[in-house]
Amino acid sequence: MAFYIARRLLLALPALLGLVFLTFVLSRVIPGDPAATLAGDAATPAQLAEIRAQYGLDRPILEQAVIHVRQVLTGDFGRSVFSGRPVAEEIAQRLPATLELTFAALLLSTLLGVPLGLVAALNHNGPVDHLVRVLSVGGLAMASFWLAIMLQLFFSMELDILPLRGRVDVEIGMPPLRTGLVLLDSLLAGRGDIFVDGALHLVLPAVTLCLPGLATIARFTRSGVLETLQKDFVLYARAAGYGRVRLAAIYVLRNAVNMVVTQIGLLFGALISGAVAVEAIFDWPGLGTYAVQAILSADYKALLAVTLVVGVVYAVVNVLVDVAQALIDPRVAEDAR
Amino acid sequence: MGFRRLRAAVLATALAALPGAIAPAITPAWAQAPQRPLVWGDSLPATLDPHAIFDVPSQFVLLNVYDGLYRYQNNPPQLVPWLAESHTTSADGLNWEFTLRQGIKFQDGSDMTAEDVVYSFRRLLTMNRAPAAAFSPVLRPENVTATGPRTVRFVLSRAYAPFLSAMPLVAIVNPRVLAQHTVNDDWGAAWLAANTAGSGAYRIDPATYQARVSMDLSRFPGHFLGWSHNPRPIEQVRSRPVMETSTRVLALLRGEIDATDSYLPTDQVERVERNNRTRVARDESMRVFTIRMNNRKPPFDNRDARLCFAHAFNYEGFNNTILRGLVVRNGGPNPNNLWGNPSDLQPYTYDLNLARQHCDRARAAGAPLDREVEIHVQNELEQTVQAAQMFQADLRRVGINLRIVPNTWAGITGATGRAESTPDMWVHWVSTYFVDPENWIGQMYDSQFHGTWKASSWYSNPEVDTLLRQARSSLDRPERERLYQQATRLVVADSPDIWVYNTLNLRGLSRRVQGYQFSPVGSGGEMRLMSLAN
Amino acid sequence: MTALRHIFRDPVAAFGLLVVLFAVFVAIFAPWLAPYPDDAFESHLLQRLRPPSMEFPFGTDNLGRDILSRVILGTRNALVVAVSVVLASMLIGVPLGLAAGWKEGWMSEVLMRVTDVFLAVPQLILALALGQLIAPGIGAAMVALALTYWPFFARTVFAETRRLRGALFVDALAGIGASPARILFLHVLPNAAPAILVRATIGMGFTILTAAILGFLGVGAAPPSPDWGLAVSEARQHLPEAWWFPTFPGLAILLLVLGFNLLGDGLRDAADPRLRRSRR
Repeated sequence: MAFYIARRLLLALPALLGLVFLTFVLSRVIPGDPAATLAGDAATPAQLAEIRAQYGLDRPILEQAVIHVRQVLTGDFGRSVFSGRPVAEEIAQRLPATLELTFAALLLSTLLGVPLGLVAALNHNGPVDHLVRVLSVGGLAMASFWLAIMLQLFFSMELDILPLRGRVDVEIGMPPLRTGLVLLDSLLAGRGDIFVDGALHLVLPAVTLCLPGLATIARFTRSGVLETLQKDFVLYARAAGYGRVRLAAIYVLRNAVNMVVTQIGLLFGALISGAVAVEAIFDWPGLGTYAVQAILSADYKALLAVTLVVGVVYAVVNVLVDVAQALIDPRVAEDAR
Repeated sequence: MGFRRLRAAVLATALAALPGAIAPAITPAWAQAPQRPLVWGDSLPATLDPHAIFDVPSQFVLLNVYDGLYRYQNNPPQLVPWLAESHTTSADGLNWEFTLRQGIKFQDGSDMTAEDVVYSFRRLLTMNRAPAAAFSPVLRPENVTATGPRTVRFVLSRAYAPFLSAMPLVAIVNPRVLAQHTVNDDWGAAWLAANTAGSGAYRIDPATYQARVSMDLSRFPGHFLGWSHNPRPIEQVRSRPVMETSTRVLALLRGEIDATDSYLPTDQVERVERNNRTRVARDESMRVFTIRMNNRKPPFDNRDARLCFAHAFNYEGFNNTILRGLVVRNGGPNPNNLWGNPSDLQPYTYDLNLARQHCDRARAAGAPLDREVEIHVQNELEQTVQAAQMFQADLRRVGINLRIVPNTWAGITGATGRAESTPDMWVHWVSTYFVDPENWIGQMYDSQFHGTWKASSWYSNPEVDTLLRQARSSLDRPERERLYQQATRLVVADSPDIWVYNTLNLRGLSRRVQGYQFSPVGSGGEMRLMSLAN
Repeated sequence: MTALRHIFRDPVAAFGLLVVLFAVFVAIFAPWLAPYPDDAFESHLLQRLRPPSMEFPFGTDNLGRDILSRVILGTRNALVVAVSVVLASMLIGVPLGLAAGWKEGWMSEVLMRVTDVFLAVPQLILALALGQLIAPGIGAAMVALALTYWPFFARTVFAETRRLRGALFVDALAGIGASPARILFLHVLPNAAPAILVRATIGMGFTILTAAILGFLGVGAAPPSPDWGLAVSEARQHLPEAWWFPTFPGLAILLLVLGFNLLGDGLRDAADPRLRRSRR
């Protein structure tokens, strides 16, 4: 097992290196001259040339790429060409917001998706099944930015029961930051009011973001359960007098868990990229909005770091998923060798 | 209010369920809040360092956290002595001497001296970032010296009339604070990007600062001008930029923020006015909406071709229908409400027949009007996109094929360094950086500025160059006025660009904000002047 | 044919097929179906932001254009984008998946790692970068989508090839001297076709949705294209007053993606049940 985990981790490394190199080349051909942004609205051509030289922007792109990879390997993400602050610091401020949002969305998708899928499978081809299928596939089809605006209009403006934007109410303020996760930090600080407020602020963005995941998990739970229900041991158990619901709960779900875990790994990447539009509309100060601002201001250092961090998070989550699968079903690790 | 009620209910339940130790921590915050903080929803600059950046958002930090020797106040803007009580100029316009007021204190309590002013200008000029551009051609760091504890002398290398107008760009920073944070001779730049060292009316709490996300300000009672002008000043300001326009408007209507940015979409004005706790402040600014043409690229090297485009834009329809009359037609590069405009300036009109005639003449002269012309718009700025779409529809009628290219500010300005890479056309505003025709016609049409985004029409006319250069070096205001009028006539006749309107700045405000005063520099973001009714 | 019969027996999947066929019909005859086909590029300032009425069933937008016409005209865009992106992704992903799945070894390992790298690249950044290299607009967005979608095909085909490689008929073909290319393209590929077809159908929906997000973020279709995502994006400034402006293009996205996904779901059920395990 330890060998399997080590192998999975090692395999992730070259992919990440490739990602660093690829994104560098990409980021440097992105529209916009970082020097122009840096120098500001009133800059003269001479100022621009000076800044380009200072930041090494005048060297060949491949040389810049090699320098960049070397720096990243030593943990140096450089300074944002826009704000002049260390990119690592800025990302450390932004990452927790995105993680809090994506985890909340993931939790919602699983908590709602698995029961939905189960109910659909138990009523295979019945009206409930069809309804769940249409609803779950509808969730996959909803453009998140459109849904986000509609939810804002309905729950914040019309019903006036949920906040519109941000992570906490301005007057209540952020809890003392330890992890950067509002819900956790407010509990650590013993501030029940911030916890409640933070949770209310999380509702709309998390609901918007969870839909595609919810749909996927419901679909896969449904087909996983259906498949398991046809297996010999289930037929045998039914013959022995076990009820359908009890069977589903005990045997079938356990078999379906494995597949749901796989989906969570894959979904995580989609969640993070889906977060871009959702964060922008709900003013959620996470990595997605940071990336958009970096693009608008041609801040290539920031963009590179975001891409890499997202890549690392994606890789780590998928390694964790593989390990979890191996723990649930040791045959997976055997196969992989 | 439903949300607050619900939150209170949920809160009460939560409190009942939580250990009693938590409750006392919360109650006082509600019981004694004499004044709810003001929540400012306008954008924040990328960095807090006032010498590293100069754009419209950075003016918020400049005006509230720092002070300059002079400052613009009111509308139309007047240049008033600020940290300086007065200045003198030599007859040749090369020697400028400024005298500081007495008893100015920085926010750390130390006294401001002439040496601090010298340090600030040397820092600005050595770092040589955006705000330095107005000074670096005429001022060397060593030519800023203290001639006494309260007097500073500037010796310019050549006469430069807009020198005083540009003075408010420069924040005076506290060298004693920066000295503690200077690493590798960086002038404390790394530190100052997220901290402050000023003397302004508000101070920033660095612990809560998150770049472009949140900034908390509290009133500095020791500000050198005192607070007698404002009996109920705002104690706490929470700056919370809202990224999306739609969210920003909704947040204002809901009371989550007290002020939007000053570019409220014209279609939202009515709605904000109708709400009984919000209003819209409308102020004529100095910000000219301009459609640029690259005069170096055919067909725009042909005057008739340019005139054809200038007559094909539906000014009336755009200004009065799409923007609902909340702007003012502006026929030349300088804003209408600035000096230096000829009184008889005739703006171009929307006349497709005239446009066709000019186009025919241009075609006869060999201008390639049949090629697809690209217009670059700034994606996130809806107005640039609407203008381009409307223009496209009208140009079709005169047989011109316009293609709209979505782009960004950074993308376009990065391309304006060379004539070949500058787009055929692009759309933007020229805002007020300093109040002088130099900010508009001077930097837009003097060929010495080619390569900057402001001069991206690549216009070059030796006669105009001479006039603009004379105006720049003369200290005689009537003479400058005459020179600028003459240059404006020539430029408008050549039609290098299409000038559409001068902006009416529209800021959505909560009705509890009082004393809001607009000035084109800073767009009304000066907190010292405002007060709050609870 | 069995698949088709299965779909007609499954009302949900049949509905999906119907939606897709309807969209194809609308796309082909768009210029004749749209009440005001010129509204693809015209503007009528005097009738901007009109609510739905008999004259304009879906209302008008910020430049006075008929939203119904633009939704109809936009169908073609959506389908063209979806079909070209999915085809291009197949052209890259299928051969790579076949190659990687056929033989174990460093080649296969490298191919699959490259696939992983592309899976982790954010589409938005790729679309912007390509916009600069080619020209900003829908073309760049399509290339970016194809470049980030092919790994899904590569993975699907890889898994299928691995499974079929051990099959008896492959051994037999190799035994009578068939070349690997012949076996792969003439025998393995047809057997993997159902999996590819399911993947492609789901991919259509996914592509339409992602293209809409790119349009919304301003790196997709350029105005005045009647692109649905772009329309929702342009409508933001006019909310909540002009509710009809984002609603109808938004519903169009919803309906078409729903159609593709329901169809894909039905195909999945009709094909090998083992496919239910295939990723995403």
